[in-house]
Amino acid sequence: MENITEYLNSGVEYLKYPVFGIYLMLIIVGGLTAVLSKNLIRALIGLILTLFGVAGMYFLMSAPFIALMQILIYVGAVTVLIFFSIMLTRAPDGDAGMETDGKKLNKQIILALISGLAPAFILGIIIFQKMPDALPLKPETSITILGGLLVGPYSLAFELISVVLFTAMAGAVLLGFERRDKK
Amino acid sequence: MINFLSIPLIHIIVALVAILAFIGLNGVVLVYMERKVAGFIQRRPGPYEVGPQGLLQPVADALKLLGKQLTSPMGADKILFWSAPIISFAPVVVCFLPIPFGPSPNSTGMELNLGLLLVLAFSGINVFALCMTGWGSNNKYSLLGAARAVSQSVAYEIPLLLAVLSIAFQTGSLNLSEIVQSQQGVIHWHIFMQPLAFIIYFISATAETNRAPFDLPEAESELTAGFHTEYSGMTFGLFFLAEYAYMIVVCSVATALFLGGWDGPFFDGFWWFLFKVYALMLVLMWFRWTYPRVRFDQLLNICWKWLIPLSVLNLILTAFFIKLVH
Repeated sequence: MENITEYLNSGVEYLKYPVFGIYLMLIIVGGLTAVLSKNLIRALIGLILTLFGVAGMYFLMSAPFIALMQILIYVGAVTVLIFFSIMLTRAPDGDAGMETDGKKLNKQIILALISGLAPAFILGIIIFQKMPDALPLKPETSITILGGLLVGPYSLAFELISVVLFTAMAGAVLLGFERRDKK
Repeated sequence: MINFLSIPLIHIIVALVAILAFIGLNGVVLVYMERKVAGFIQRRPGPYEVGPQGLLQPVADALKLLGKQLTSPMGADKILFWSAPIISFAPVVVCFLPIPFGPSPNSTGMELNLGLLLVLAFSGINVFALCMTGWGSNNKYSLLGAARAVSQSVAYEIPLLLAVLSIAFQTGSLNLSEIVQSQQGVIHWHIFMQPLAFIIYFISATAETNRAPFDLPEAESELTAGFHTEYSGMTFGLFFLAEYAYMIVVCSVATALFLGGWDGPFFDGFWWFLFKVYALMLVLMWFRWTYPRVRFDQLLNICWKWLIPLSVLNLILTAFFIKLVH
């Protein structure tokens, strides 16, 4: 009977490979949908799939706090706001959210492929020439330590991010007031 | 005899099955409860014909929903339309995992250090499902309902998070079991130390679950049925089940954060947890049949002019007192 317990416990360990595969598929399929779909809403769904996959990867790397923050902020808030802005800008004839397609698109695809594949190619060569050892998985960092790091050694970066956010918010308010004055 | 529940994989599978059964059973019980409560508040008997005291009414409702044909409107985005009910329902199952129903380790689905955060993160996905219904249904009522749902939940998530944060400040933990353990004995319940946070949490939670008086996304007198206008049969049933399940989740979190969880004046155990959750559910139902629906500007004013400033004040005061004590 003890063997069964051990067997099942080691089974959990092996789950990480298929799970990694599932997350990878989510990221790739989501990314392709986001880029290739003509319908803006479907592209957004692709983006959300990718964000979910990335959150799952954070879980696998034993960083659950960042994974949950990814879901809370990106899936729960940012993409919902993108959704909202697409809904608000929908044209009266009903097919807004569609990208305009034309002959220009071929050129764009070539440019996009170059800018996407060139870095991947260079990085790939470097990685295959100097294959680094797999990094050992670090134990989960508790949020107390994370919080201490944010207001300690990384306080400058933390403050800078808040300044950026504040600027964006103040800019949005300012734009809103300008629009209202014109009326 | 080995303890199979101590093996993580089996524990999680058993927990998931139990949660699904719990959600289904709750759906049946709560439908009956809601209709009876509504009836009594309006001085009528409520469901009465099917079974003794109308006890079999929810079963009849469920069978009716199961037997209905599933239709989708012309010009709907099929993928969005059919996947939205599933996306609305699936995350709520995850939300139940970290909730401690009782003192024994077996009564928590998954012991997580960030359990509270998990609940908050996964319950946020529901808004996204509502957006998908709004866009996918190709119906102006659905779209309006979805637009309302988004602005409502984005606004009310802030005071909700701030109220929860003040409890996290006080206990120094996001693990729901630890938070419950820190309030043993009735006087230590957080509701007595943080009454303002509890009120803010409960109002925001009512708004987040789209319950009356904040049920603007599905306001039946204005928007037919709001975001789920076009859904029939079990797809509507899934939204319904998800809504009740989210109500149970917010009431469970309120119980764990503010009301001492499974701790009671005597005989600690899961019965206290369930009793408190159901008491809070009754309060939610009482709200629904007492207050008229708020107007949209009133809804946003309550949030931005009252709840957010009050919750920030509460947070600052909490931080100040914690600094004072240490």
